[in-house]
Amino acid sequence: MTQFSRRAILKQMGAVGLASAVPQTLAAQNPYAELDGVPWFFLSDTEARFLSAFCDVLIPEDEFPSATQAGVIDFIDLQLATGYGQGAGLYMKGPFRRGTLSQGYQAEMVPAALIRNFIAAAIEQGGDLAAADAEQREGVVSALSETEDSFGGAQGRVVFEELWALTKEGYFGDPLYGGNRDYAGWEMVGFPGAHAYYLEFVDKNVPYRAPPKGIGHIPGTNRSASLGASAMMKKEG
Amino acid sequence: MVTELPKTDVVIVGSGWTGLAAAYELANAGQRCVVLERGGWRHSTTSFGAPEEHDELKYARQKEHMIDTPIKTLSFRNDGSQTALPMRRLGSFLPGKGLGGAGIHWNGQLWRPLPSDLNMASHYSERYGQGILDGLSVQDWGVDYDELEPHLNFFEKICGTAGIAGNVEGEAAEGGNPFEGRRSEPYPNPPMKSSPPQDIFRRTAEQMGYNPFHMPSANVTRAYENPYGAQLHPCVYCGFCERFGCGYLAKADPIICIYDVLKDHENFELRTGAHVLRVEKSADGQTATGVTYVDEDGRELFQPADTVCLNAYALWNVHLMLVSGLGTPYDPQSGEGTVGRNYSYQTMAAASVFFEKDVWSNPFMGAGAMGMTIDDFNGDNFDHADLGFVGGGYISANQTNGRPINYQPTPPDTPSWGREWKQAVRENYLHHIGIVVHGSSVSVPQNYLDLDPTYVDDYGQPLLRMTFDFPENDRRMSSYVLSKAEEIARNMDHVRAVSTSNQAAEGESYSVVPYQTTHNVGGAVIGTDPSTSVVNRFGQMWDHHNVFVFGACLFPQNLGYNPTGPLMGLAYWTLDHMKSDYLENPRPLMDA
Amino acid sequence: MKQIRYAALISLPVLLGVTWAVQAQDFSDGPSVQSLESRLDDDGVSFNAQVEQRPDDDLLEIGRLVAMGGAENGGSGMACITCHGTDGHGDGSGAFPRLDGQPGWYLYKQLVDYASGARPNQVMSAIADRLTEHEMEAVSAYYGAMPTGTIPKHGDVAGTQLQWGGQLAAVGSAEKGIPACVNCHGANGTGLAPSVPYLAGQYASYMELQLQLWKEGVRDNDAMNVMSSIANKMDESDMHAVAEYYARVTSEEAQVEDEQYVSPSAME
Repeated sequence: MTQFSRRAILKQMGAVGLASAVPQTLAAQNPYAELDGVPWFFLSDTEARFLSAFCDVLIPEDEFPSATQAGVIDFIDLQLATGYGQGAGLYMKGPFRRGTLSQGYQAEMVPAALIRNFIAAAIEQGGDLAAADAEQREGVVSALSETEDSFGGAQGRVVFEELWALTKEGYFGDPLYGGNRDYAGWEMVGFPGAHAYYLEFVDKNVPYRAPPKGIGHIPGTNRSASLGASAMMKKEG
Repeated sequence: MVTELPKTDVVIVGSGWTGLAAAYELANAGQRCVVLERGGWRHSTTSFGAPEEHDELKYARQKEHMIDTPIKTLSFRNDGSQTALPMRRLGSFLPGKGLGGAGIHWNGQLWRPLPSDLNMASHYSERYGQGILDGLSVQDWGVDYDELEPHLNFFEKICGTAGIAGNVEGEAAEGGNPFEGRRSEPYPNPPMKSSPPQDIFRRTAEQMGYNPFHMPSANVTRAYENPYGAQLHPCVYCGFCERFGCGYLAKADPIICIYDVLKDHENFELRTGAHVLRVEKSADGQTATGVTYVDEDGRELFQPADTVCLNAYALWNVHLMLVSGLGTPYDPQSGEGTVGRNYSYQTMAAASVFFEKDVWSNPFMGAGAMGMTIDDFNGDNFDHADLGFVGGGYISANQTNGRPINYQPTPPDTPSWGREWKQAVRENYLHHIGIVVHGSSVSVPQNYLDLDPTYVDDYGQPLLRMTFDFPENDRRMSSYVLSKAEEIARNMDHVRAVSTSNQAAEGESYSVVPYQTTHNVGGAVIGTDPSTSVVNRFGQMWDHHNVFVFGACLFPQNLGYNPTGPLMGLAYWTLDHMKSDYLENPRPLMDA
Repeated sequence: MKQIRYAALISLPVLLGVTWAVQAQDFSDGPSVQSLESRLDDDGVSFNAQVEQRPDDDLLEIGRLVAMGGAENGGSGMACITCHGTDGHGDGSGAFPRLDGQPGWYLYKQLVDYASGARPNQVMSAIADRLTEHEMEAVSAYYGAMPTGTIPKHGDVAGTQLQWGGQLAAVGSAEKGIPACVNCHGANGTGLAPSVPYLAGQYASYMELQLQLWKEGVRDNDAMNVMSSIANKMDESDMHAVAEYYARVTSEEAQVEDEQYVSPSAME
């Protein structure tokens, strides 16, 4: 495995810093420009834009929506504000030590703090990821995914694993939680969702064509109820 | 201030499979039973219904049915030279909480041990010479297959098990597992359906001279009434088995199969929210007097009882013994002591098969025990003479689920995220199956459980400390059986690509992060020699004759099968001896 | 091409103890084949209506003719629309179930079971017996593709009973060991194609009768063979409660479509 030095990452970040000089119009073409003005539960606009840029490297737009377009930022916002982000499911008694890979999560912070501190450190050291071009963004994400260096108090790879897990959860989880908007992730792979009854199909070599339905499916539509902040905004708007 | 409660005949710690089975059998034998459950009350009908239960985020990722890690976890290290750190988040294995225990969120893969699994040490020594076991702590169970058979059979009927028998009273049956031990009866229900990829696996395995069969399944295949009078419904292949409860009443669980037909019994009382702190001992230390627990309001209560049954999850049973001073803790330096000794796990590997577009696996259609399996490389079903290891595993094309947060099959050399990854996931999701290698796990002197010197749980008790890494024996075993699985995968028709993964690959340490299996076994093992076992062959503690121990903590080493079948066979074996012998004349059932 | 003959409508004076007069039916009340065909562009509708093959206009046309009483073997004996309506809503009496929007495969299986006697019913068995397999498929797809409309009018029922019915529907009963209806009948009781019928908006008296038939073992033809064991755990008031509850459930789908499609029975 390639070991990325702190310097290499800072170099990537520096490239982003330079790129922040690009005209606003260019940045506005990114999907995360649409996130402006969303009344987030947890994130600041800056954090939302950063995460959007980050997550869209992990799941970019093609014939199917990018992470951001599928509501992943709404999902992460909700998760950080609630149980997962606040440490539900985590044993948080000390003493804290950096463990081996086999020993798993040993950060002294709950995930919400871990991610907030990481974003702040990353922006401070490298500039606005959201304003960088695609190649630069990919370089930064790639470097972070493998480094043991700390950003905001936790190793880069640890934060990366949290964010990558969140991105997949947001893209493929039930749309009730704000992600997987309009069943984007489920449509993409062909997963029919929460209403599952396959007695007549399981032994047949045929495609299954029923459109997906989530827990909060709205009958007669291809949508689900959503607890995400954007959805709330639309409802109120 | 501890409040002493009125005495009961039997106190049972835990309301999972073994706890409720014990309560049913003992209550019906006239014993007043109090069952203490750490988690809450719940019911398969009202708590596990679709669509709400079909929430991958909540139950599979955030693990709502599992033990509350912030309150109680364990610490972990790979070897004695490291500092154990708390397992801060669930990962590799998932102990349950609440009525029904982990019996709620199992897959329903219901196996019997091979006869040679139960006398593993003597079997291998006789066939290959003593040297083959050098460096291992492998030992016999002290109870043989013929003794367990009626109890294994009974539990299969409790669960409405689906499958094809391979050996009913010595008669070989087509489509069954030819390696299994003698059965007194066939399975009560016909086998599960199989998916197109599983049919391809079966054909290929047959062509290669192996013996494929439907995995025995506690996902029931037709409307069924069990011997207790409980009713089960057929499985709809919803793909939400493991980590989820079954609201269809189709996956046998302790609530539907036992609790419902026990709950109104006058000798049965269930107390939920009851966290047992320790088993109390008599002044002379020879017997237990009952258990002390904390109730939901934080009060400490002492429940006196004539008999104490330990029916918690395997790891927590060992923890309870260690914090209660039951038995003698194992010391890896001297090799003395038995509590915590012979902890072992399961050695998991897999081949991943990517099909051409005309093979539809539709992986979301599946069931926990929907498997097409071969047993040709399990146990001692194959010649170990020149292989350099003992044990083995079954190879099974399993179609358990396609829940998309976790299920993202990508062929070899696909980047792990980004554009190509996304493309690969979408192209392969509906055309993929995993072939599992479910391998045994030997016990070795350096893998064990004890108490952590630093970390405590919410009740101020030291955490259990696990010291474990895959023994060399199991790395060799896993690599060998995986190569056989890969060979089958590569011989299958319509296959575009095959990849493999091995948790016990050379150079990789066991990690508590990725889920592997909730088959933690040993630590309070069964046997006939008090210097190498915690309980005698009846499940009774050598040191305290009125303490009976249940569950996978009894396994001296782990076999290549899922543990629920063998451990329930042991449970009914123990209960049989309690009812027919011990209760009327409480005493040690074996001389130490 | 099969020759389709038209059979005259026949009226039966007494059926299942319910007396009614055949109303003059105008087939043009029902949705046109074209409008149904266009609905099949929606994957959900198409999946729901399908029996063995994806329905096309030919199949729907045959289905429509069968519904009106035409059939190859000299007619089905009587037209489906006589009791089930041109819109599949039944006649409002509650003796005849709604068919509109039921899964096509489910309807087909019922016809097969009526014909074989697996689902005993004097009238329906005689009718189904005279249909070819293809006609059964066609008429099933036809009704399966039909939009669901409004719910027929209801009688009085105590609020506490509705509440109990709703509870049985949503979470079942731990006390009685009854699994929730929604497991198999879908959220809001909207059914799960191919084999599980919707309950939402079905006639209460029909559903209650079916539960009784299941309990008595007269009907025993569900795909999973569990309805008899579930009905066995229910007493009469449970059956009444859950039937009355589901009769009142309206899916949002129905409301949305109401704006475009006004059912004839709703215009009474």
